[in-house]
Amino acid sequence: MDYSNLRRQAASMKKSLFDQGYLDEQFCQVEDLQDEASPNFAEEVVTLFFKDSAKLISNVEQALEKYPKDFNRWDAYMQQLKGSCSSIGASRMKSECMSFRDYCGQGNVEGCMRSFQKVKREHGALRQKLEAYFQLLRQAGQLVLLELPPGPGCKN
Amino acid sequence: MQHSKRQPSTKKRKIRVHHHHLKSSIFMASRNQGSAPRALVVEDIKVDRLILMHMLHKLNCEAIAVENGKEAVDLFLEGKTFDIVFSDKDMPIMSGPEAVAKIRAMGATEVKIVGVSADFGGKEAFMQAGADVFVPKPVKLETLQSMLEVVISKKNMSG
Repeated sequence: MDYSNLRRQAASMKKSLFDQGYLDEQFCQVEDLQDEASPNFAEEVVTLFFKDSAKLISNVEQALEKYPKDFNRWDAYMQQLKGSCSSIGASRMKSECMSFRDYCGQGNVEGCMRSFQKVKREHGALRQKLEAYFQLLRQAGQLVLLELPPGPGCKN
Repeated sequence: MQHSKRQPSTKKRKIRVHHHHLKSSIFMASRNQGSAPRALVVEDIKVDRLILMHMLHKLNCEAIAVENGKEAVDLFLEGKTFDIVFSDKDMPIMSGPEAVAKIRAMGATEVKIVGVSADFGGKEAFMQAGADVFVPKPVKLETLQSMLEVVISKKNMSG
């Protein structure tokens, strides 16, 4: 397998994510925390992010339904999501979260609803792209395979 | 962009050198004192907690985490001591500034308390509550390192 070609593809994919604004420098900070002891740290963080953010999005969705015009509540939920986005460098998602919060501040229900849809779209798009990125890194041998079948000389 | 010019093998070497440099200065400083700095992380967002704890472990810090201000206060009430506390601002049950005020009111004046928040307006709340410093999120590894070095040198001087 041509690992160097796969690595180039992964690097190109990452560059594209930055160029299109999906990610910012904070993502590099997270990747830079990886070392021999934690070679998959970035993927662990991203996996946790998508697990948590799905719940936060669900919280916002329920709040929009059950608590009409409760802008403080909506804003509080979205603030948490925005914080998580900042931590992993999810730049476009973060912008949409900020947009939602601005609409909360203005008391603009329609604006909130529209920007919430954008938050969900960005969430889905980023998830797809990062899954593909980490899949490529695995193929390129840059991520430690956590489940390896036992081979000759391997300890179980 | 700088990251686009990175080559994976060079990047890995950079990480090792960077990690060694960071760990060695903190390790040597703490070895003089005889113990690693003890940190408490007060943070409800799991991703932020994971990242901060990972950074602190990389910096050779003994760190534990709780999910809100009340849990942090409870630890101090139990007599636990820390060299440094990193507290988020907005958390369920008890906020960071509220917890900081209670911790200081207990007489825990020596512990360095760092307020951390993506909300820049949080600085005033933290400083009024008695925090020593405020850093905006996301926290950088280099920022943590310089804070821990201050804590350690203070420990070495008073030890």
